[in-house]
Amino acid sequence: MKGYRLGAIGIVITFFTIITTTVLLPMILFNPKPTGHGNNYIETVQANPARGRQIFVREGCFYCHTQFTRLQDRGYGPLVRAGDYVYETPHQLGTARTGPDLTNEGGKFPSQWQKAHLINPRALKPGSIMPSFSYLSDHDMNDLVAYVQTLGNERKVTHYVEAPEEYKASLARKTVDTSSDASGNAGRGLYTQNCAACHGQSGRGNGPNSVSLEKKPANLTRPFYKQYPDDFWFYRITEGVPGTRMPRFGEVLTEEQRWYLVAYVKTLQQKNEQTVDNLSELDKIEQVKLPVLTEQEWEPASGGD
Amino acid sequence: MFIDKVLSNKEGSASRNFLLSALWWSLFAIGAGMLAGLEFSMPDLVHNIPQLSMPHLRMWHVNGVAIGWLSMGYVGTMFYMVPALTKSKLWSERLGNFTMWAWNALMVGAFCTLINGNTEGREYAELGAVLDVMAVVALILIALNIYMTVVHRQTKKLYVSLWYFLGSLFWFPLVYIIGQRTFVALPGLNDAIIGWFYGHNILGMWFTTVGVGMMYYLLPRLTNNPLYSHGLSMLGFWGIALFYAPTGTHHILQSPVPEWLKAIAVISSIFLLVPVLTVLTNFFMTMKGKWGLAVTNMPLRFVVTSCFFYLLTCVQGPFQATRWINWYLHFTQWVVGHAHLALLGTFSFILTGAFYYGIPRLTGRQWYSQGLIRAHYWLKFLGFLLMMTSLTIAGLIQAAGWNFGVPVDQWSLQIRPYWALRAISGVMIVLGQILLAYNTFKTLYTPAILEMKAAPQEVKA
Ligand code: HEC
Ligand code: HEC
Repeated sequence: MKGYRLGAIGIVITFFTIITTTVLLPMILFNPKPTGHGNNYIETVQANPARGRQIFVREGCFYCHTQFTRLQDRGYGPLVRAGDYVYETPHQLGTARTGPDLTNEGGKFPSQWQKAHLINPRALKPGSIMPSFSYLSDHDMNDLVAYVQTLGNERKVTHYVEAPEEYKASLARKTVDTSSDASGNAGRGLYTQNCAACHGQSGRGNGPNSVSLEKKPANLTRPFYKQYPDDFWFYRITEGVPGTRMPRFGEVLTEEQRWYLVAYVKTLQQKNEQTVDNLSELDKIEQVKLPVLTEQEWEPASGGD
Repeated sequence: MFIDKVLSNKEGSASRNFLLSALWWSLFAIGAGMLAGLEFSMPDLVHNIPQLSMPHLRMWHVNGVAIGWLSMGYVGTMFYMVPALTKSKLWSERLGNFTMWAWNALMVGAFCTLINGNTEGREYAELGAVLDVMAVVALILIALNIYMTVVHRQTKKLYVSLWYFLGSLFWFPLVYIIGQRTFVALPGLNDAIIGWFYGHNILGMWFTTVGVGMMYYLLPRLTNNPLYSHGLSMLGFWGIALFYAPTGTHHILQSPVPEWLKAIAVISSIFLLVPVLTVLTNFFMTMKGKWGLAVTNMPLRFVVTSCFFYLLTCVQGPFQATRWINWYLHFTQWVVGHAHLALLGTFSFILTGAFYYGIPRLTGRQWYSQGLIRAHYWLKFLGFLLMMTSLTIAGLIQAAGWNFGVPVDQWSLQIRPYWALRAISGVMIVLGQILLAYNTFKTLYTPAILEMKAAPQEVKA
């Protein structure tokens, strides 16, 4: 064995040097302090989000959903910071995004929506490949929904979506008062001509053309849309939604006309989500009605109403 | 005697039993992967059965392939390569068979827990505490067995494969203990740092180092060429030992972990090109003049394919570990393709080569059918290429989606054809593995008419 003593010592030293620098050192040097924006799972509500987290782990949601936002992610809320994760053990950062990022998911949809989505994702999102978790018991399901609703809550998300930088400039050029009734009325005609065929006269996403679309038009009456800032509405109307039939109206309407549309579209949102008592009553085209939670309701803290 | 049946003392029995167990678990593990793949195309294929929901299948698929098929196969191969390289017997066949049973028990436990979602929730380290302890004990016993075999060797010099095997058996149990975090609860990001130290090093300090050792063994033997350069092989060994271990953080480059750790990870990822290229130069120069053999010699064909995929993996890896490429590609199926390139394209191919090479020498029986081997090769090779292409394209579409702010709901409709292709590729690969199982069964359990003693090949160390 003698001849190999040097080699063996070399291997041992190399290995432990590497362990020291990349495993021990970060544990010693890197101790982020809680930012107060992450979840601490202490506050309990009716349903138990801490238990919901265990179900999130057990059901392996993190194989398809990540929990960290990056600089380049549009529409997923504020960027995360190191201290947000202090209470996250085991970490659920995730590796692949087969579905959307869930960092700031809390409050994005009402609890009923979340529950219905877990039971039958394709009823709410045609074409979705998210598995159905209908085998979860009602207790598990409510806790899981409670957990999803706490995600990013402490971060006080005020809006999830932002128009790209270049649209900020268009705000400065705006000549229309998008909050006044008069402009809203001026937009109504434009809406009927250009949008109602798809989005429906009342904006519920159920216009006659929607029947032929795989990706259904947005239901603009959802309370969720109240948080859209003007420039985001303007951006969507101007550029459409890539990958869907939503057209780029920037090509045909003047800037002023598009601002009138914004003023009108902003009046469509209702106060509450509409609900039904049973999943089978869900109307797949309308995507408006949601089932009510059977045991307890856990209201989202932001978004919704 | 009962003890001789259960803990056989027969030469080569531990190796053979390990290889057969690996094959057995591979069917379940790869099968689960295939079903999970199908569920991406047909999400309501299986409804209301928690055991068959995609995330549970995926946990079992990854662990079944890594801890079952590849790890058990690796141990089985080391159990016949190490005695051959040291011109002696395995230190203790009984102990070897004991670890084989222990490992199988571990796999039964893993199967029953993971499929029900009883997981620690850490990617690649899902196994529960009891199973972790079992794995560590088994690994230490295996290391003991192989170290003692080497101590009692009849040769003077240690061939480079032994360097790799001994190194891996020293550091992998330690990496496993650190990486599983069984009895510690670290705050989120620290947990992630160690998690990816492990996630990357189960590959870097186990699958790669043992796999490369196997290539060093098989190539000279199958071609009857001497190894091109001993010096290069040592350079490669030290390069891998130095640069592989610190790279883990490149999996979380865009998360808020310390920048210096990211820098270490990216730099050593790029430096990895050095050992990889030396290792491969050595292999390809060893093949010189004998490339034609890969047409007729099936184990060699698996090994050579594996070498080429290794080249591809290790060029792709550093490429996507650089910050700007990572910025674009992270979180997409491209990375899933890369993982399959390493574990399926490279290490599963080398293990299959070693399997086809080893079984006749361990049992003294020739393969029942060469045609089935060829069919297996083509199913696995073409299946894998299809999988790689479809995942890569799907990944590029997703990457474009994320970077141009296209909502998930929209790009997810565009990648449906690629999910379908991936599902088909899974079916092909599973079919290939079933052919291997059938061929092995026929080889071992048909009467002696087909039996021929394979002449043990000369050791050329
Ligand atoms: C196979 C991968 C996969 C798994 C596993 C998965 N999801 Fe999803 N998820 C998706 C996809 C794809 C979407 C986007 C389409 C849709 O909304 O249905 C999505 C959407 C979502 C959304 C809506 C996000 C948004 O902002 O639009 C939530 C919430 C969600 N998933 C929660 C979960 C939870 C909780 C689990 C675990 C019980 C889970 N998912 C498991 C793929 C998955
Ligand atoms: C050809 C049918 C069609 C027409 C015409 C159409 N839309 Fe759309 N619209 C869609 C589709 C499809 C979507 C995508 C829904 C989604 O992303 O879930 C969409 C999405 C939107 C969104 C984005 C919603 C979100 O979730 O961000 C807005 C805003 C919108 N439409 C407003 C309008 C307005 C205003 C008009 C008239 C000027 C209009 N649409 C005309 C089909 C149409």
